[in-house]
Amino acid sequence: MTVDFSPFHQLDTPFAIIDKEYTYIEISKQWQQQFKLKKTFKGKKFFECLPELPEEFQIDVSYCLEGISSRSDTKRIVTSCGNSVWYQWKISTLGGHEVNNYLFITLEDVTDKKLEEDLLYKTQEVAKIGSWRMDLKSNTIFWSDMVKTIHEVPLDFKPDLEKAIFFYKAGWSREHITNLVSRAIASGTSWDTELIIVTENGKEKWVRAIGEPEMVNGSCIRLVGTFQDIDARKQTELELERSKNAFADSIKNSKVGMALVSPSGQFLEANESLCALWGYNKEELKKLTFQEITHQEDLEKDLALLNEVINGKRDTYQLEKRYFDKKGQIVYALLTVTAVRDQEGTIQQFISQVIGLNERIKNENKLKKLLDITTNQNESLLNFAYIVSHNLRSHASNLALVCGLVNNNKLSASQREEAMLHLEKASSSLNETIDHLNDVVQIKIGGEQHLEKVDLKKTISNTLKGISALIAENKVAVTLDYQGTPNISGKLIYVESIVLNLISNAIKYRNTAIPAKIAIRVQELNDAVLLEVEDNGLGIDMEANGRNLFGMYKTFHKHKDAKGIGLFITKNQVEAIGGKIVATSSVNQGSTFSVKFKKHQV
Amino acid sequence: MSISKFKTSCIIDDDPIHQFGLKILMDRANFSQEVLVFENGEEALNGLAKRLKEGEELPAVIFLDLNMPIKDGWGFLDGFVTIPNINTDKVTIYIVSSSINPADIEKAKTYEMVSNYIVKPLGIDQLEAIIESL
Repeated sequence: MTVDFSPFHQLDTPFAIIDKEYTYIEISKQWQQQFKLKKTFKGKKFFECLPELPEEFQIDVSYCLEGISSRSDTKRIVTSCGNSVWYQWKISTLGGHEVNNYLFITLEDVTDKKLEEDLLYKTQEVAKIGSWRMDLKSNTIFWSDMVKTIHEVPLDFKPDLEKAIFFYKAGWSREHITNLVSRAIASGTSWDTELIIVTENGKEKWVRAIGEPEMVNGSCIRLVGTFQDIDARKQTELELERSKNAFADSIKNSKVGMALVSPSGQFLEANESLCALWGYNKEELKKLTFQEITHQEDLEKDLALLNEVINGKRDTYQLEKRYFDKKGQIVYALLTVTAVRDQEGTIQQFISQVIGLNERIKNENKLKKLLDITTNQNESLLNFAYIVSHNLRSHASNLALVCGLVNNNKLSASQREEAMLHLEKASSSLNETIDHLNDVVQIKIGGEQHLEKVDLKKTISNTLKGISALIAENKVAVTLDYQGTPNISGKLIYVESIVLNLISNAIKYRNTAIPAKIAIRVQELNDAVLLEVEDNGLGIDMEANGRNLFGMYKTFHKHKDAKGIGLFITKNQVEAIGGKIVATSSVNQGSTFSVKFKKHQV
Repeated sequence: MSISKFKTSCIIDDDPIHQFGLKILMDRANFSQEVLVFENGEEALNGLAKRLKEGEELPAVIFLDLNMPIKDGWGFLDGFVTIPNINTDKVTIYIVSSSINPADIEKAKTYEMVSNYIVKPLGIDQLEAIIESL
């Protein structure tokens, strides 16, 4: 049997027409395909040919058959196999009051559409995205519920352009959105921007606004767009940015020198403190490696520790080391190195912190020098005290001894005469000793603060002039040799005394058996001027007396003028102006006294 | 004149006043028949070695100063024991010094042959005490 379809069969709507008996009168092609009906449907019962449908649909069909003119709804049914299916329907009676014997039914499976809508809705809900549009012809604005929620206005709020713009925060945000909207209307450009609004409740919020103009014949008829609440993300971003900036700022402004160093030692980045410490600018420093500016003696130690970090034996190390700054001056520093590794543990770079210690080292050295001076002074004071007591005591005891003898009548006339001579000698010796002590007390060890420029050459020639009679009388041959500057830093009276003492000692202790020779040499060294006075005289047994050579009241020759005070004073004067004196000597060969003076710095 | 206690004694001191005074006091105390005088440690070592070599007796008592040129008292003490064929048992050494440095006094104690440390000026009482003790 063939079925004849009415012309409505081709309609693009799934519909069916049934009569009061639930018998199919007509269906569309759509309906047929949707419910997979055979062509032999005519005359069959309506529900027999359909799948499980929502109960509400069946009820609506029966209502309409009972006389209600139309029903429509969208409902879900969970089928016996557990599927959830959405149906949308519309039922109307056909033919007015008299002939309501037929029902016109559209029924559609809208599950896919419904799910899509749901998803969209949920997505918008979660993402807090709303939509809006503005019709320029009617000058009306539509906001979706989400847009209203974001603005914290009631859902029945009626926006207009002025109000919408006014929600943007006064200042940059409001100016910016005004410009964007004007430009979009004028030239059809879209926008996507992040701005701040102030909600109805006065709360500031970051939003992302996207707008798209719809252009017809070169003029804008409508703007559509989305509106998203991005406050939480933006706040996090801003917080991150702030802390990043704060971190970068703290490195940049840190008093501690900081640098990023490549695994090979190249400087990648450096802060201002570090540049200042080493005297290089950042660009110059980036061309250098730490190896190049490290003091050679400290390099090995540094590299050894660095290797331990590279080999994973340690994560960090600290080291006091020396660098050279741009001028080649030594910079003492405390270095802390930390490795930055990637996820595989490979070293990406090192963070170096460098604290300049020059001030500290300078102070330490100053302190050490002070301590040296104090120790030196203390030692010489102690030495001095014993020697003073010894020598003063020896004269005093002699006086006591002789006085004791003189008071006794048992002395012979000649003994008495001799005793009187000794008394006189003892008292004049006492006087002399006190004079020596006075000389010694005059020298202030470590009193280097008032040093002046002294021309050593001139001082020597003046001294030689002063003792020319003595030189001539003893037939001493004096040779002079000057190399470099003779200018030293000292005190003229000390230098005169030192030179005189050394030359007159050389004459005093000459070997009378041979012609006396004295060689005086002055030589400029790196930071010192060396004076040498060499003679061919009696010499001193250095093994036996070397350590006492510059001691007070130490004498080494049976010479009538040997007082044992000269070299003691000389040594103290040399040290008082920051110099050093040493001697080499051998018996009957002669002596050489070498004095290192501080060079006068221009 | 009573008999002197010792045959020979010795002064090692560079100070002529001390030499002079001590000799007079020793004379008064009848200390010894003969007094040897040396000006420093070097001279004393040479003199005593020569004496020993010539078969003469060493002095029974030596008064030794510490602070002298060429070779001081310590140098003498170090050299004394090294004189060939010396018998130090028969020699008593007194250090006579004007030094009151405790370091010197302590150092003197480390020499076994040093009997005592006498701080100058030496008096006749001390000489008499030595006579008593030996």
